Amino acid sequence: MADMGDKAREEFFSEAHEIIEGLSRDLLQLDSSRGKGPVDPELVNNIFRAVHTLKGLAGLFGAARMSALSHELENVLDDLRLGKIELSQAALDLLFRGVTIYGRILAVEKGTRSDPLSDIDEFLRELADLSESQSDDAPISGAFYELDPGLLAVLTEYEEHRLRTNIEQGQSLFRLRVRFELATIDAALSTLKTKAKPHGEIITYLPTGEGAEADSIELDILMASKASLDVLRSLLGGEQAQIEEVPRRSPSAKDPVLVPSRLGSHGPSHDPLPYASAHPASAPPRPKAVAQRPGALPKTASTAAMAAEVSLRSVTQTVRVDIRKLDLLMNIVGELSIVRNAIGRLTESVRKSPELREIGMELYRLHRGFERQLADLQSGILEVRMVPLGQLFDKLARVVRQISREADKDVNLVITGAETEVDKLIVEELSDPLMHMIRNAIDHAIEARIERERVGKPAVGTIALNAFQKASHVVIEVEDDGKGIDESKLVSAAVKRGLLAQEEVTELVHREVLNLVFIPGLSTKSDVGELSGRGVGMDVVKTNIGKLGGIIDIYSERGIGTKFTVTLPITLAIISALIVQVEGRTFAVPLASVQEAIWLDPAALRRVEGQEMMTLRGATLPLCRINELFALSSVGKTKTRPYAVVVSVGARRLGLVVDELIGQQDIVIKPLGPSLKRVKGFAGATELGDQRVALVLDAPALIEEAFLGGGDAVVGASYG
Amino acid sequence: MADLVAPGRSDAQRGIKLRGPRVEYLAFKLGSDTYGVPIGEVREILKLPPVTEVPRAPGEILGVVSVRGLLVTVMSLRARLRLVSSESSRKGRILLVMGAHEEVIGLYVDEVLQVYRLAESEIEVAASVLGGRLGDYIVGIGRPEGALLTLLDLRPILGRTDPAGRDAT
Repeated sequence: MADMGDKAREEFFSEAHEIIEGLSRDLLQLDSSRGKGPVDPELVNNIFRAVHTLKGLAGLFGAARMSALSHELENVLDDLRLGKIELSQAALDLLFRGVTIYGRILAVEKGTRSDPLSDIDEFLRELADLSESQSDDAPISGAFYELDPGLLAVLTEYEEHRLRTNIEQGQSLFRLRVRFELATIDAALSTLKTKAKPHGEIITYLPTGEGAEADSIELDILMASKASLDVLRSLLGGEQAQIEEVPRRSPSAKDPVLVPSRLGSHGPSHDPLPYASAHPASAPPRPKAVAQRPGALPKTASTAAMAAEVSLRSVTQTVRVDIRKLDLLMNIVGELSIVRNAIGRLTESVRKSPELREIGMELYRLHRGFERQLADLQSGILEVRMVPLGQLFDKLARVVRQISREADKDVNLVITGAETEVDKLIVEELSDPLMHMIRNAIDHAIEARIERERVGKPAVGTIALNAFQKASHVVIEVEDDGKGIDESKLVSAAVKRGLLAQEEVTELVHREVLNLVFIPGLSTKSDVGELSGRGVGMDVVKTNIGKLGGIIDIYSERGIGTKFTVTLPITLAIISALIVQVEGRTFAVPLASVQEAIWLDPAALRRVEGQEMMTLRGATLPLCRINELFALSSVGKTKTRPYAVVVSVGARRLGLVVDELIGQQDIVIKPLGPSLKRVKGFAGATELGDQRVALVLDAPALIEEAFLGGGDAVVGASYG
Repeated sequence: MADLVAPGRSDAQRGIKLRGPRVEYLAFKLGSDTYGVPIGEVREILKLPPVTEVPRAPGEILGVVSVRGLLVTVMSLRARLRLVSSESSRKGRILLVMGAHEEVIGLYVDEVLQVYRLAESEIEVAASVLGGRLGDYIVGIGRPEGALLTLLDLRPILGRTDPAGRDAT
């Protein structure tokens, strides 16, 4: 990639990303609308435009592979637009693959991934082949219309194609003559298009060259519609707009007006877009047309300039912000809250002195207002960090489509709650685990077509992706209507592998059995995946979700389906924790790794090779005394009835022995500074209010230490 | 250290013609001795908030505190310089300074005294005064207004690698 500033590079990547995401969304919509009546030409146009813009971007930044890909895709899309090739499943597959390859190219350009991209050339060839397979245009059937030959002569290839398609579909043609104020033409035209869209299609528009004043312009708009003239008049008509139906020409007429002069010219169109293009290269629209339309004013210089101006303006009202800048703002809010507290104290003392009572009251009111607005500011900044899960779901929809085709299964993805918002950082970390779960559902849970029909299920499998907010958490459900998990096979596999004792089996309740899928090694495809209906690494999924402070639950019923429920904090910064006390010191244990907390029965304790253990419901639980582990000096009183907080990572469990359970609290974890980074055992620290700081125990690290003996746990930092 | 303990009267020095740019030093006490660092190094002086000890941390680390939501590691400067320990007093303060890796560090000192303006000519180069282990940490001795100030270089103390100390004015 050519040299460019970091900032420009970043902009390039995020813009390209945004466009590709939109592209993917439109393709999905196209896919789902296929076979349900005529394809929305505007959708195909959007896709075409997105690729066109990418091509421009790629050129600008010297991303050669992206350029080449865009070029071929553009050709295919142009042919699709012009109806030269059919929107077949194969064509759609190619387009979807194009999106995937865009993603890979971006990752390579960004340097986040090494990928030889060796299959690109082949892909480009396939695209070119598709482009050449186009059928010849069918001759025009249907009635001809009394159309101004001048107008016909200036139609672009695309507009011609649309006109023909509409006539073939039996739509009537209407001519609208509308006067626009030059100052507001952009907005007015787009309003008109929006109003017209449900009833038909605007094929072209041209200035009439009549009645034009300095500050207004009159356009002739050619529209195809099934609606009657009256309907259109009431809808679009008005002082500024006259509407007439274009009369059909009598069949006896000699020369058909629609002489498709350019029909059969299969080269790439030189005029890719019917109106304001997103790319300046095509800005002066239809230069040929000017000469070919005598007597009529072509698009004047001013309107052409306006079109170019439109294309330069941003489409969306959004700003991209580096998330670190938001962190900075958050810190400033933190500082402001100190000021607020100081003012609060001052206000209180002023209010106490009788002679300053009035000022005190005034101060009090001001302070209350300040307090309120500061809280608003804080939640406003938090809100900016939030992005809708829809962004992620769109990507997953693409994955579903791809995997289900690979697996040759019909799967319908039903999404609800795409508008639910989550912290940007969480969305990023969530995509892999969710993709994993969906892949498993398609590969292993949804049965083959024949099997489904045999058991009386609809041939098309359903995967539901539901998101909703629940208090300060977001819940995401991944639900399939597949075969469910066979518990008996899961249990016997666990026993066979020594992960479960035979005598423990009877004690397991339904839920505990299902949780076996999260044990590493038990749910891999080569072992029991085929049996359990679940494949690769659910333990990895659980770990990753745990890292986000989230919890995953499973519910499954044989023959009915499986549902995974992921509960996540709305923002990464806040997690739920169990607050405990040891020797007068307060610690927090993230709830994500806590299984339960139990009263420590001295009678159940024993020592094996120096390691303290207890038996918990038949299983051995190693114990770790926090006060000994951290060499905490005693504060005197000995606790007679300590507790064990059972924490787990995968299959490993450890009982942390503590003096008191204080309760559950939502906390904000802050990492310890670099000077303490070699101190193991703590995930960070948190403020519990009134300036007290509590350390947050790093359960996975403590478990590892307990099981592996963690040799370097007590290494301090060094200076100088 | 005994020779540093008692600041002798040095009225004679007041007569010296002061040369060079003047730098302001914040004077504070560690045990019974007085030390100074350029005031520009000190972002803030705080009363001692409740410190949460961090098990397994090096001995000179007192623990962590929250300064308006910012988690700050507090280091005992006395322990860092391996001076004789003494009881922490009610006069104890925390100086917020910039440590290595852009980390804000809280330096615990026993008492903050005042700010002195010192010209270069008022500073005796340390090497001539004392050698030994502390030599690396000390830039010189200042004798303003009859006081005796051991001037510290925070860069090696905090493990900072910036080429020049942030001179304060």
